[in-house]
Amino acid sequence: MPARKLYFESIRVGDELPALAKAPVDRVQLSRYAGASGDYNPVHVDELYAKSVGMPSVYAPGMLVMGMLGQLISDWARGGQMRRYNVRFIKMVWPGDTVVCKGRVSNRHGTAGRYFVDIDLWAENQRGELVMKGGAQIQLFYSLEDENRQRSGQSPIVIEVPRESLAAAPATSTGGGSSEASAVDEEADERLTGASSKKTVPREKPAAKTATLPSAKKPKK
Amino acid sequence: MLDKNAIGRASPPTLNEVEKGAIRRFAEAIGDYNPIYYDEEYARASGYPTIIAPPTFPASFHSAADLRELLGVGIKSLLHAEQGFDYERPIFAGDRIYVSTRVADVSERQGMSGKMDIAVIEDEGRDEEGNLVFRARRTLVVRASKETP
Repeated sequence: MPARKLYFESIRVGDELPALAKAPVDRVQLSRYAGASGDYNPVHVDELYAKSVGMPSVYAPGMLVMGMLGQLISDWARGGQMRRYNVRFIKMVWPGDTVVCKGRVSNRHGTAGRYFVDIDLWAENQRGELVMKGGAQIQLFYSLEDENRQRSGQSPIVIEVPRESLAAAPATSTGGGSSEASAVDEEADERLTGASSKKTVPREKPAAKTATLPSAKKPKK
Repeated sequence: MLDKNAIGRASPPTLNEVEKGAIRRFAEAIGDYNPIYYDEEYARASGYPTIIAPPTFPASFHSAADLRELLGVGIKSLLHAEQGFDYERPIFAGDRIYVSTRVADVSERQGMSGKMDIAVIEDEGRDEEGNLVFRARRTLVVRASKETP
């Protein structure tokens, strides 16, 4: 039996996705990911090579961590269709690191029988440091009734839902995947140089899991 | 500084056949055991024609592009800074997807440790009828100031 599906009607701006703590990354996983993705960049699988270019060890490809954060979304949005998914890689993930994936609904709207939620996403390591952040847009059926109607060839339920957003939500996840390389900044540069002095405090917590309306405050970073 | 002439360079579409075993191994490597990636029956009961691929699966697709050649950067190191996907529909087992790659932009930025070259690479996946399936957008930092590793 498929798991219970998620419908638009039950989602509120400010809802938190259940955090997903992944098993610690190890070198076997890095090899498996290299094989599965076809990306055999030796900095991810060859310890001697990684050290020869100044790294303390091999490290996880950003796409593996993006895959973990993708699992957070698909676990939550069962029955939904991912429309957009963007991330920025901020800190390297090393063997032994535990990635914890988190997310929060930042926006919801519906028009012409199509319903969308936007999610702010981020991943932390076991020290609470931000390793990746991003956003996704999911399209959902309004309700079980809407799904049943559409699957039987009827027209969708049409309810105009004006856009509701988290107050002061950053625009990181809503650029349609087409924003220029604007977000590459010191953080990426920090990752580039391997510096790790700048501690990133865990992202702000939303006011409450039960926040129902856009009044849910989101402190600026 | 990267060659601005690289902008617009593209590779011809390359066929990628989406195999069930490849989907399973990709999901396993992520440690994602959602049955929608493994179990045909479960996927159909969830409203899909067959098993689907995880959202980052296009990372495993091949294209004819040799990035270093497209960018003209020799063996300088490329650091992946950002990644984005836009999806028209899920990717299904059995799909035959043609992937092409093009250089969307190159630019130079001032970072904390000196100048960085930035390249934006776009991949596009289309089905055999030519319908768009996904677009992917990679932002790469090309290490400009360091010795080649």
